[in-house]
Amino acid sequence: MEARVAARDLYEDFVRTFGNVLFAVCLFVVWGVLTLVGVVVDQGKDPSVYFDSYAAPVARAILRLGFDNIYHSAWYVGIIGLILLSLTVCTFKRVIPARLPPLRPVKIDKIPLNASFRAGGTVEAVRAKVEAFFRGRGWQVRERVFDGDEWVFADKQNWARRGVLVAHIGFVIIAAGTTLYWARGFAGETAILTGQTGEIPRTDALIRLNAFKYTIQPIATKSGIVYQPIDYVSNVTVTGADGKPRDETIRVNHPIDIDGTLYYQASYGFGLQLDVLHDGKRVAALSDRTLLEGDSIDIPGTQRSVQYGRFVPTVDRATGQPGPDPRINDPAAILDVFNAGSAVGAALVPMQTWIDIGGGWRVIPHRYVPYTGLQYRYDPGVPLVGIGAFVLLSGLIVAFYFLPARLYVRVDADGEGAAKVGVAATTVKGYDIYERQFGELMTALEGQL
Amino acid sequence: MTPHADTALMFVALAAYAISALALLAYFFTRNDALRAFGVPLAAIGCVAQFAQLVVRFETTGVWPLLNLYGSLSLFAAMGVLIFIILAIRYDLWFAGGFVVGIAALFLAYGTTWNEGTMPAVPSLQSYWIKIHIPLVVSSYAAFLVAFVISGIYLAKTYVKRTEATSAWLDALPSLPQLDILTYRVVAIGLPLLTLGIITGAMWAREAWGAYWQWDPKETAALFSWIIYAIYMHLHTRSAWKGVNSAWISVVGFASIIFCYLGVNIWISGLHSYKM
Repeated sequence: MEARVAARDLYEDFVRTFGNVLFAVCLFVVWGVLTLVGVVVDQGKDPSVYFDSYAAPVARAILRLGFDNIYHSAWYVGIIGLILLSLTVCTFKRVIPARLPPLRPVKIDKIPLNASFRAGGTVEAVRAKVEAFFRGRGWQVRERVFDGDEWVFADKQNWARRGVLVAHIGFVIIAAGTTLYWARGFAGETAILTGQTGEIPRTDALIRLNAFKYTIQPIATKSGIVYQPIDYVSNVTVTGADGKPRDETIRVNHPIDIDGTLYYQASYGFGLQLDVLHDGKRVAALSDRTLLEGDSIDIPGTQRSVQYGRFVPTVDRATGQPGPDPRINDPAAILDVFNAGSAVGAALVPMQTWIDIGGGWRVIPHRYVPYTGLQYRYDPGVPLVGIGAFVLLSGLIVAFYFLPARLYVRVDADGEGAAKVGVAATTVKGYDIYERQFGELMTALEGQL
Repeated sequence: MTPHADTALMFVALAAYAISALALLAYFFTRNDALRAFGVPLAAIGCVAQFAQLVVRFETTGVWPLLNLYGSLSLFAAMGVLIFIILAIRYDLWFAGGFVVGIAALFLAYGTTWNEGTMPAVPSLQSYWIKIHIPLVVSSYAAFLVAFVISGIYLAKTYVKRTEATSAWLDALPSLPQLDILTYRVVAIGLPLLTLGIITGAMWAREAWGAYWQWDPKETAALFSWIIYAIYMHLHTRSAWKGVNSAWISVVGFASIIFCYLGVNIWISGLHSYKM
């Protein structure tokens, strides 16, 4: 029995806390702060980046608290979970009961928006005129009798009381859509060299890159020459689950759909083929590979390796350093040499020239091959997120732009052949927002009577 | 149309805003209707000149004029003044005009410092979404600018000590509850616009970058601003939190908008680094 009482008390505490708007606002504040941390602190970087950018204690705190990947941290997911819980409790405890407030008598003069005046005629006649006045202005008029007293209630835009409910539902639908992606979706990136076919993990898709082209235009600005990218185009042949190959073009803003998975133009680069020579003879086993940035070749019989750092489209002839022009004019590659895992040095090596890495070994960058970087994503939650966004927005518009108001009207006898009309008004947004309209309404009503 | 028309219209807009702001600021302190009658048409002329300048830029260059900070700040200033004029007609907000037009002029002047000439759009900006997403987002920022000014006036009316010199213009302002409601009404315009801006941005991101949400600094900064204004709206349902507290939240909200708009564009690199 005691346990049941304790459980009920706990439940009531839970509902009271999570149903409180101020508690929800506190959760929003924490959500906002965590979001801001993610804006200010670079996300997903190597730990060394944080130690370079911040004092050591701050960098350690960032890493230990998971602020380097905050949007996928337990903090962030947890706060969104709590917000959803609060939103659910608030919806059932406050929003749904408030959407149809019961008709009940009030003390008219205790409500800040109130007015009263005398009108000529019997109580019944005046009441009929009052009702006709409000009906004529689009109010929903209802009569009720409480303890023998007749009350008139007039509601306007009552349906708009559901705006907050609709917005909350939209938020929940968006959360459901994103959860569906976490549960069943996937995403990834792949690099496909020109002439090669890439097999996309978790799908049946094959993509062959027939050609990759890019357009970069030098533009003279007030600050100097800017090399503006204009277009990135991958001409591909794709084979989906049906096994039929078809030609497609992938551009930025123009993804392609293969069996529900979307493929996007994300990046590009150049693969590099090195001629590896030992004592002047080409070593075919080491020379036939096409390397991507970061790939390396181990030199047999030594502890040395050569890593392809990056492609340099244009070498600045004046300085001998990589030039700013991303178009291919005078290409080279940056090669990093390692010995027993330690960096020995890096060299900018123009195409068809060589570097000596010791022991009779030479390396010549002799050919570059463009590759396309494609991003792919299967997200079954997108329709739900889209619907949720639409519902959320609809709810916000209804909640913000409409003002449900209720009028409480009493008509009482006030001497021979006269009646006293008392009207009070409440709205879901307080009294100040309706003060002017109420005043105008009462002036019109008094004039009508 | 010539490029000189572009420069001339920009000059007209800046000059009109500057003079209008001074006249309307003087109106704020004196309530001399002649000053208002002088300042409001000037603000409207500046606004028209700005929209005309954007059209001229598009006509002469063939490039959508909102691709960079110069273009978007220009639209921000124009929308700020336009939204202000519409709301002022509806809610008699003229008392706030000097501040709104003055701030719009400052942003416009700052925007001109980012004018690097005409550049074609980078691939990610070559989309019809640019004609939907950016005007929506910038309009929401403009609405929040107006809300910020009214909140500032609310706070001034609350905190400025009443003296012989101040009591005249303090009394001429709307009552505190009226200012509070005015701020609410403007935020109620800005928040759905920001929501729609974020939604259209997500739709565009899905086409351009492969996911509707990338946790890019611009997206998360916009989410941060959205959260602040959502807090504003929630707290505004509580009578104890209306008034001064709500006004402060509106001020913080606009600071977050400026951070999202300029801070992220200029200082934080990400997918939205379209300064030039």
